[in-house]
Amino acid sequence: MSSTLTEVRRPAAATVTAADRRRKPLRKARTFYLFVAPWLLGFIGLTVFPLGYAFWLSLTDSDGLSPRTHFVGFENYVEIFHDPLTLSSLAKTGLFALVTVPLSILAGLLLAVMLNQPIRGRGLLRALIYLPAVVPPVGAALTFRLIFDRDAGAANGILSGLGANPITWLVDPNVRYVLYALVLWGCGGAMIISLAGLQDIPRELLEAAQVDGASYWQSFTRIIVPLLSPVILFQVINGVIASLQSFAPLLLSSGSLSGAGTVPQGNYLYMIHVFAQYFSASRFGYASAMLWMLFAAILLVTLVIIKVSARTVFYTVEPEGKK
Amino acid sequence: MTRTYRWALSLVLLAVVLVMLSPIAWLLLTSLKSPAEMASFPPTWWPKEPRFANYTDAISKVNFLGATQNSLTIAFITTTLTTLSSAWVGFGFARLSAPGKKQLFVVLLATMMLPGIVTLVPTYLIFAKLHMVNTYWPWVAWGLGGSAFLIFLFRQFFAGIPRELEEAAIIDGCGYVGIFWRIFLPQSWPVIAASVILSFTGAWGDFVGPAMFLSQDSTTLAVAMASGYVNDKGLPMNNLVAAGAVMYVLPVLVLFMFMQRRFVSGFSTSGIK
Repeated sequence: MSSTLTEVRRPAAATVTAADRRRKPLRKARTFYLFVAPWLLGFIGLTVFPLGYAFWLSLTDSDGLSPRTHFVGFENYVEIFHDPLTLSSLAKTGLFALVTVPLSILAGLLLAVMLNQPIRGRGLLRALIYLPAVVPPVGAALTFRLIFDRDAGAANGILSGLGANPITWLVDPNVRYVLYALVLWGCGGAMIISLAGLQDIPRELLEAAQVDGASYWQSFTRIIVPLLSPVILFQVINGVIASLQSFAPLLLSSGSLSGAGTVPQGNYLYMIHVFAQYFSASRFGYASAMLWMLFAAILLVTLVIIKVSARTVFYTVEPEGKK
Repeated sequence: MTRTYRWALSLVLLAVVLVMLSPIAWLLLTSLKSPAEMASFPPTWWPKEPRFANYTDAISKVNFLGATQNSLTIAFITTTLTTLSSAWVGFGFARLSAPGKKQLFVVLLATMMLPGIVTLVPTYLIFAKLHMVNTYWPWVAWGLGGSAFLIFLFRQFFAGIPRELEEAAIIDGCGYVGIFWRIFLPQSWPVIAASVILSFTGAWGDFVGPAMFLSQDSTTLAVAMASGYVNDKGLPMNNLVAAGAVMYVLPVLVLFMFMQRRFVSGFSTSGIK
């Protein structure tokens, strides 16, 4: 009796597991898509669709208001390469990146190396040096406006203490130095990133070098810098991308989007020009084309990094037991 | 390392700290100066007579309390929705598999590099067509979409949790939603803390979003600070600017000093990718 029962049951149980095995990946796949759905929908609705809409706009002469817009083809894109304001804003952004990106990274790296030494209170020192990087952008810009104020600013206070003439900082041609100083004030961010990279360098390597009689400078140039190179590369690329998008000059002058057109020439960066085209000139089509050029450039850079860093990637910590 | 060397290093770093903190000190000093002091040159270093009325003036000159409320509302919406959604999606990427997952993960990583600002203006135009400008709905949508970076952080954390835990739960008849909610989420509090801090400070500091999506009288502190304190002639009233900025910046700095490890862990991981 009991044997027939088990005989009846066994094949049934076997078929269930077999069917289950076949269905399981499918169900798991459905669950996966259920979980990533919020991001995926957001990505489509808030990134892909707006980008597509901007692309369509970039092919028109839309001013955002009048219902009649005309299709102009790639005219806006052609104009980008002939518009002296756009080209000069690009050149200024290049100069801005060329000055601030290497200086920030270098300052961050030096600080990171110093703060990686066994000295007393180094946790607090790290926190305090990093502190400016967490000040909200508006707060930081306002602070620098106060420091570089013509009459009540500390910068001119120091100059007059030294017997020099006061400088009108917040207008051309000096205002771009204020912008550089503002960006460099946040070099604590670069410091933290380099510090994390430094802490990943195996101590045995440095100790071995020391045993072999290497000086600190030799360990620095031969071990630390090469091993940090992916981290430095990451910072360079991120820094350039951030420079292309920087609207800090806006916060240093009028502090409103509609004031983008009045930003001093020295600080008239690419993004400022985009804002001015949108919010002052109402040239939505042209501004969208400018945004698309920026997007294409950043996409290209990103794809290159993903390709290049494919082997040195740090992000894949596969869960245990997975291939 | 010799002792003198260590001392010299400490001195250098102490000097760097002083330089880095001096702008904040100047902000505090300026916030206590009188209008007369602001107009005289050369500037005084120490306020002659600390004028605390700057702070009350700064609150009444712009709609400070209203703007604070708007900032907090947006920060609250952003923080809760972004954190929950990012954890949810991060769990999917860490624990489930499906065809197309690898490609989606690459897209996710790529969007981390994507400048939000590029999509912001067209998004604004779309929301304007939907008559959702000057409401909080855009922030709800952004929050629900999660943040690529935080999804990545959660994914990293969840990927490190032993598989046995989840298998035991499946045998006990727990579905993946239950596994996420009852087992994985409660364990991920370090990432939740980092996520809350990063999204809160991000929303509190955001300028372009509210400047674009909200009208001047329902805007946030960041926007009100940036252009609010001007006199009848359109010139900035810098002592009020300073007082307002102190009140705007201080909460973030206090939060940072209490929770610096979470800030730093968030940022250092961002550097590793």
